[in-house]
Amino acid sequence: MRALVRVISACQLFICAQVHAQSDDLLTRIAAQLDKHAVVRAEFAQSKQISGVKRPLQTSGQLIFARQYGVLWQIDKPYKVSYILSEEKIVEITADGGRKERLARDLPGLAQVGRVFRAMLGANTSALREHFDIEAKGEAGNWSLTLNPRQAQMAQFIEQIDIGGGAFVVAIRIQERGGDATQIKFRNSNGADTLSESERQLFGGSGKQ
Amino acid sequence: MKGFWQTWQPRHGVVIWALLAAVLVIASCWRYSAGLPLQTNLLALLPSTERNPVAENAVNTLASTAGDRVIFLVGHTDFEQAAAAARKFAQFLAQDKAFSQVTAEVPAVNLRALTGLYASHRYTLLSSEDRQLLQSGGADMPARLQRKLYAPFQFGLTLPLAQDPFGLADQWLASLPLRSFKLEPDSGLLVRHTDSQHWVLVTAQLSGSAYDGRIQNEASQAITKAEAEFAGQNVSLLRTGTLFYAHAARAQGEREANWIGAGSLLGMLLLLYRVFRSVRPLVLGLLSVAFGIGTALLGVVCMHGEIHLITLVFGASLIGEAVDYSVQYFAAHMGAGEDWEPMAGLRRIAAGLCVALLTSLLGYAVLLFAPFPALHQIALFAMFGLTSAWLTVFLLLPACLRQPSRRNPDEAVATPQRWLHTWQEVMTPKRSILLCGVLLLLSIPGWLRLSGDDDIRQLITRPPELNEQESRIRELTGFANSSQFFVSEGTTPEALLQAEEALGTRLETARTRGDITGYQAVSAFVPSARRQAENYALLLQQLFSPPQKLRRWFDEAGLEDTVATDQANAFKLAKDQQLTVAEWLQAPLSTPFRYLWIGETAQGYAAIVMPQGVRDATTLSRLAEGLPGITYVDKAGSVSALFREYRKWGAIWLGGALVLVFAVLRLRYGWRDATLVFVPTLLSFAVTLAIFGWIGRPLTLFNLMGMMLLLGIGVNYSVFLREGGVNAAATLAGVGLSAGTTLLSFGLLAFSSMPALAGFGMTLLTGIAIAVLLSPLGYSNRSAT
Repeated sequence: MRALVRVISACQLFICAQVHAQSDDLLTRIAAQLDKHAVVRAEFAQSKQISGVKRPLQTSGQLIFARQYGVLWQIDKPYKVSYILSEEKIVEITADGGRKERLARDLPGLAQVGRVFRAMLGANTSALREHFDIEAKGEAGNWSLTLNPRQAQMAQFIEQIDIGGGAFVVAIRIQERGGDATQIKFRNSNGADTLSESERQLFGGSGKQ
Repeated sequence: MKGFWQTWQPRHGVVIWALLAAVLVIASCWRYSAGLPLQTNLLALLPSTERNPVAENAVNTLASTAGDRVIFLVGHTDFEQAAAAARKFAQFLAQDKAFSQVTAEVPAVNLRALTGLYASHRYTLLSSEDRQLLQSGGADMPARLQRKLYAPFQFGLTLPLAQDPFGLADQWLASLPLRSFKLEPDSGLLVRHTDSQHWVLVTAQLSGSAYDGRIQNEASQAITKAEAEFAGQNVSLLRTGTLFYAHAARAQGEREANWIGAGSLLGMLLLLYRVFRSVRPLVLGLLSVAFGIGTALLGVVCMHGEIHLITLVFGASLIGEAVDYSVQYFAAHMGAGEDWEPMAGLRRIAAGLCVALLTSLLGYAVLLFAPFPALHQIALFAMFGLTSAWLTVFLLLPACLRQPSRRNPDEAVATPQRWLHTWQEVMTPKRSILLCGVLLLLSIPGWLRLSGDDDIRQLITRPPELNEQESRIRELTGFANSSQFFVSEGTTPEALLQAEEALGTRLETARTRGDITGYQAVSAFVPSARRQAENYALLLQQLFSPPQKLRRWFDEAGLEDTVATDQANAFKLAKDQQLTVAEWLQAPLSTPFRYLWIGETAQGYAAIVMPQGVRDATTLSRLAEGLPGITYVDKAGSVSALFREYRKWGAIWLGGALVLVFAVLRLRYGWRDATLVFVPTLLSFAVTLAIFGWIGRPLTLFNLMGMMLLLGIGVNYSVFLREGGVNAAATLAGVGLSAGTTLLSFGLLAFSSMPALAGFGMTLLTGIAIAVLLSPLGYSNRSAT
């Protein structure tokens, strides 16, 4: 009897190890696949459920993810406003062109929020792993990641994050501690090697090389 | 006087001296049984500079809290390795009893608790931007609501929509000066990621003062050992803290005191032997110096309770001056040849020794009035030391030098005799006057080029390697230098906060100009009750009346009806629920900022306003002008100002002292001879000043202090020579010897790494050289006697 238990445990261990190896391997492949493009342009549709609000809040617009520069998050509906997230700062650009900059290091946690958001959009697994335990499923053409916070600080706000995709990230779902949830879907994603001149100017020129 | 010289026997003196020496030895053994109380704290050197005692206190408190902390950055190209090394390093240090607390791990900031305090007071708090916006009536509140709803993610500290639909509290939280540095929490550590390295912060609290020699040794050993733990792992370690500077200063000071002392002593012995060719003067000279230095040390330690490092280094150089009195006696002994009679010899030089001691004491006594504790100690040390050495000549030497000198006096003084003859031949009265004139003429351009320097850095020399590490840590962490700040005061906390807010308005302007990057103040976390009441009134007017307005906005945005009702109710309840300093101090949020609150004082309450990223300190001092309850504190600046003041005051005093010393000389020698005796000293002043001008070295307060001593020492040589009379050549040998030992001591001091002491030494070196070269002036041209 005892011997049998031992055999089963050994098998379990073996299977678990296999799953982990597979998961790590998949993560590497996902990362390599997404890493191919220096720039990704996509359309997004966001649906946010907040307590105190009757209907889910729908937002849509475009997104430019530039590995060197950061993320340009451009909301077209229900009103026009853009956000630029880079390593150093977060810029809000209103419809009338007004810019409001905030340095990432001026606020505790701001740098991390920005970093996690960028890592999510780019499925940057190594950056995400600093803050989350990642479980990967599926295959390179159709995968999903489940992220659970590793640190108490992050866990105060985030319960779980799910990211799904293939060649590009297709969907992100963020479940917050307080019950609020955000679902973001991406369409018409396409990769490019460089930003256009006008886009680069929006990012403020100098990128991290 | 006659009676004294007849009844006094040399053996009386020896008994008294032996008794005094025994007392000195016993008292010293008892007093230093726990080690020499050596002080290395720079602050202990500095006078109190602030007119406002609360400000002076604030300076000291800040310095001591910062002083007992040691900061490390542990770096590696790989973050995991840096983190592991930092944890291990902290663990290792924590085991040592030199540290009371070592911190690497930081508990996760409970952001909910952080926002909790402000959530309950959200209707009386507004960021200054929002306040202005609401005051102007131009705030588009529905748009604010929309932004809160649709932003893709929440930035930093925020309250839930239902609590803060317009993001006003979010803006207030964002305006808090929480972030004064560039570190961020990561994996439970405080970390700075750069492109090439990952740095982890480790801080340690010393279990005692950073100036305590025992703590210094223990802590340094522990750090070296801990560092060895990760040798060869490519881990970099940066460190800073008062501990390291104080430890380096102590080591440096002790090293200097040792080699200046040893150099002076050795030089003195060599010179003594060269002239007297006998061991006896060597032993007696050593005894007089030892007795002098021993008394001086004990005197200072008993009167001050401790001795400062700078006094010790200076004391080492006093050896050369203390031996002068004995040298005069030895010279008289040698000069008398076969006719030597101990008491008669003493009697002949007594007057000269007295005048010499008196002028020296006068010179040092002036330093007693300088407001620097360090100079006070130096003066005491010198006065005790010189008086004891002088006393040794009268008490001990006659009994120990009974036998006539075996050295042929003519042979011994042949060289000085020749020198004196040549001097007399060349320096006819006319030529003397001409020489003085030429020297003065040459000096004039030098004087015109003189400048002053009152920088506090004269007192401090910091090892460049430590300085470099400190500036790297500053750059990596953003920790600010806190030598300039404001102290705010008020009879009540409310009055204090209102005073700070008036200053805050000016600081905001300074920030937009780029003079500072920000500031930390209690009022930035807790606005005054008056301002909180204004904020509440503003919100009432702009948001909550009429009540339908809020309901309509919320309805249009799709919010549930309860949100508006809850808002209105919560707002009503918040009236008079203002945040107080007491409440803030109790909240965990305030922990890193509690140092800003000084608390109750004799006059009321006091706090610190700390500007950050100061670009130009001169613009800061103007900010406090005309603001009641606000004092600008700049310790470094205040000390520099004090240096300047006393440098000017000292120059005037020096003029007065010159007159005084001349008056003493005039009493003994009459107008003409007093002038002749005095001219070499006067010229040494003139030429020394000119040399400083010529070589372009700015004058400091310490050069001036050196001149005061020069006055005391320089005039001695002319006095000795003038008193020498028939034995002029022997006296000149003595004077040459004295000057040699003194020059050696102060010459060595000129190479001290402490700029203040080097200034001292430099002045005395040049001044004494000139004074001694010109000293025969008084002798050769003296009135016929």
